[in-house]
Amino acid sequence: MNSAEFVAALGADSVLADPVELRAYECDGLTGFRVVPSLVLLPRTAEAVADAVRICAREGIPFVARGAGTGLSGGALPVADGVVISLQRLRSVVEIDPVNRRAVVEPGVTNLDISRAAAPYGLYFAPDPSSQQVCTIGGNIAENSGGAHCLKYGFTVHHVHSIDVVLPDGTTTVLGGDSPHLGGYDLLGAFIGSEGTLGIATRITVKLLAKPAAVRTLVADFPSIEKAGDTVTAMIAAGIVPAAVEMMDAVAIEAVEAAVSAGYSRDTAAALIIELDGPAAEVTTQFAEVERLCQDHDATKVRIAADERERALVWKGRKAAFAAVGRISPNYIVQDGVVPRTSLATALARIGEMAAAAGLRVSNVFHAGDGNLHPLVLYGDAAGELERAEELSRSIAELCVDLGGSLSGEHGIGTDKACSMPRQFSEDDLATMARLRAAYDPDGICNPGKVLPTPRLCGEKPGVYRPHPLEAAGVIDRI
Amino acid sequence: MTMTPSTVEDVREAVVGASGTLLIAGAGTAADWGAPAAPADTTIDTTGLTGVLRYNPADMTIAVRAGTPLAEIQRELAEHGQRVALDPARAGQGATIGGLLATADAGPLRTGYGSLRDLVIGATVVLADGTVARSGGHVIKNVAGYDLAKLFHGSLGTLGVIAELVLRLHPVPRAEATVSAACSAEDGFAVANRIIAAGLEAAALEWCAEPGRLLVRLEGTAEGVAERARAVCALADARVLTADEADQEWAAVAAIAVGDPGATVLRIGTLPSAAPRALGTILAAGASVTSSVPVGVHTVLTRAPGELLPVLHHEFGAAVTVLRRGGLDPSSAWGPPPPAVRVMRAVKRRFDPDDRFGAGRFAGWLDEEERAS
Repeated sequence: MNSAEFVAALGADSVLADPVELRAYECDGLTGFRVVPSLVLLPRTAEAVADAVRICAREGIPFVARGAGTGLSGGALPVADGVVISLQRLRSVVEIDPVNRRAVVEPGVTNLDISRAAAPYGLYFAPDPSSQQVCTIGGNIAENSGGAHCLKYGFTVHHVHSIDVVLPDGTTTVLGGDSPHLGGYDLLGAFIGSEGTLGIATRITVKLLAKPAAVRTLVADFPSIEKAGDTVTAMIAAGIVPAAVEMMDAVAIEAVEAAVSAGYSRDTAAALIIELDGPAAEVTTQFAEVERLCQDHDATKVRIAADERERALVWKGRKAAFAAVGRISPNYIVQDGVVPRTSLATALARIGEMAAAAGLRVSNVFHAGDGNLHPLVLYGDAAGELERAEELSRSIAELCVDLGGSLSGEHGIGTDKACSMPRQFSEDDLATMARLRAAYDPDGICNPGKVLPTPRLCGEKPGVYRPHPLEAAGVIDRI
Repeated sequence: MTMTPSTVEDVREAVVGASGTLLIAGAGTAADWGAPAAPADTTIDTTGLTGVLRYNPADMTIAVRAGTPLAEIQRELAEHGQRVALDPARAGQGATIGGLLATADAGPLRTGYGSLRDLVIGATVVLADGTVARSGGHVIKNVAGYDLAKLFHGSLGTLGVIAELVLRLHPVPRAEATVSAACSAEDGFAVANRIIAAGLEAAALEWCAEPGRLLVRLEGTAEGVAERARAVCALADARVLTADEADQEWAAVAAIAVGDPGATVLRIGTLPSAAPRALGTILAAGASVTSSVPVGVHTVLTRAPGELLPVLHHEFGAAVTVLRRGGLDPSSAWGPPPPAVRVMRAVKRRFDPDDRFGAGRFAGWLDEEERAS
């Protein structure tokens, strides 16, 4: 690709063309898919982003926006004949407005840095994906990121007022406004979670919340996953909406303890992390109730975080769970399916059976409050278990759909699950989604090949997994 | 001609079977919103499209046909101690859940829970060519595919028929209380911010005029609500209302949004800090107002819209919606379009290329130069 036009528009120091440098952008957090882009652009301003997209639109060059590259579904996988537009240089917190409780930020600002900038005013940004130290707000918008506390606080879409967007034709617009009330379709809501396929966010006004007056956290051990699940059901039936409810099984606990020693019991079948926050009087009353419900459901041990340090340790363990699994297995695949909460026990039992049949171990770490499972399929590449692991992983995602759930709760469809979309949606559903996409991107140059299945990616028969031609040729592979 | 479908399949047949333009009508509680719809060849009456499709209380989600009145859904949910955390004034008149999504309506609980766009987790819609499309699903957490329900939020019947919706539910609070703090609009904004900063988690913070007061709605456990009410009283010149007084106050708030036959009702969105000035303009024009202060959404009842509306359009542009036209000149219902109107038109062209649905509701917004070209 001729880089001259991009160099003329952005400056030479904003265009990477050296194959070695380009390699750094060949994948995101889903490392099994790798494609080296033709160029990487590093604009410094929103205007430069628009300039770059205008050139792409004029020349018909596909482009892929990229934040920190922590996505787990291949949403930022480059296109071989296209460019990557990295938003890493747009990382200024433009304004904190404590009176209206909002922050204006550029897309490359990390999730945690928004809360850091807001902290002096007693405010914070609520979505808290596990990768919050490094993932960017631009990426959070693309993926509609959640996090452990989304049961009470919702997802990114609930925490954004407006976005300046560069549309795929290189023009700019603003989605949303000063308040939630704006005439016309909710184009802001449709944009958030569109996985970078409708345009590039260049400036974002996010909602900030006042820090809760009180936070209480406990870890309860249970003799079985069923007992832990029943506790969650009882809590919800009692009208308690916890800030977070996380479950870990014995395999996950083993991994976490090996990695970070978070103080979880190594001899328990399941553990629940339950956190309540809010006004002190409410938290005190309901926390006592939660403790009682744990005891009523045969909890073998309830450990209450005594102070902020202990609470941080509990969360450190949970947030490190994925990485920690690396300690007990040479390779693993992270799944992200969701089932209706009442189907959790069925789903876990079936996953157990499927794992046994495949002769592989599955570790379960999940958001028990909303049914978002994160089964980790453990395998050894060297032991030749890859194919079986892949098959098991795909079966688990599709099991979630069959139980009335979803392929993905927070990681996105991206490249990874696009070919499974026909399992969850009809041809008409997908064709209608394609209409929305075409309204924004009629020429199909904005993050092509993601979210919706394409014959090129999935083979002519939608729904049936076929290796990508590049995969068959050994150019790319799946972990 | 009027069609009265009772299932998604009926809706599809009605859309495919009819030729020409279509007007979607629910309970008729928002027929007066926006600009008037042009006369259509066929009316699709959704009031027969009712019923609960799936409700498992332990999942805290419910799937309903979109013509079901919100009040009816709430009655059924209340038996299980649950609710849709939405309190639009029109619910009392029989507004349907689909109509509420199409109008992006909400009530004072918007402060704590947002509007329907924040509560809908799945939707089935029928497009002008008979395509039946579903997005989302039955689970609260779901990022698979585009969220079509968002497009239909505020669509005023111009994109297609909303046929079924899946909603996330919240528990009915065990206890609630309303505290009333006497204050001017300016002070109301300051008091609301103090309550928020203190982490008291009010479900609604509504400022009302004549006399100026901030209504603070607290929901939670009996002990918690009592203690929080005391905390609010310590932050302002306030007192806890009796249950009867609270009902009256909230009914008065709803009455402004509903209006009466001669009145014009408007809804305006502003930056929260811009509220005191906006409310000053509105009150100076002799209008009544109720304001969800922390989110900057204000509902205004006026009998002299001809003077007030142009001022508001000038200042707040597309964030001004007419909820009841009253004596208003219908051609002046919408002000300048939002910045992204070009995208809105592109979506309309893809979903309804022959312009079958809801012609006129957005007046000039949807049919300017680009649509003609």
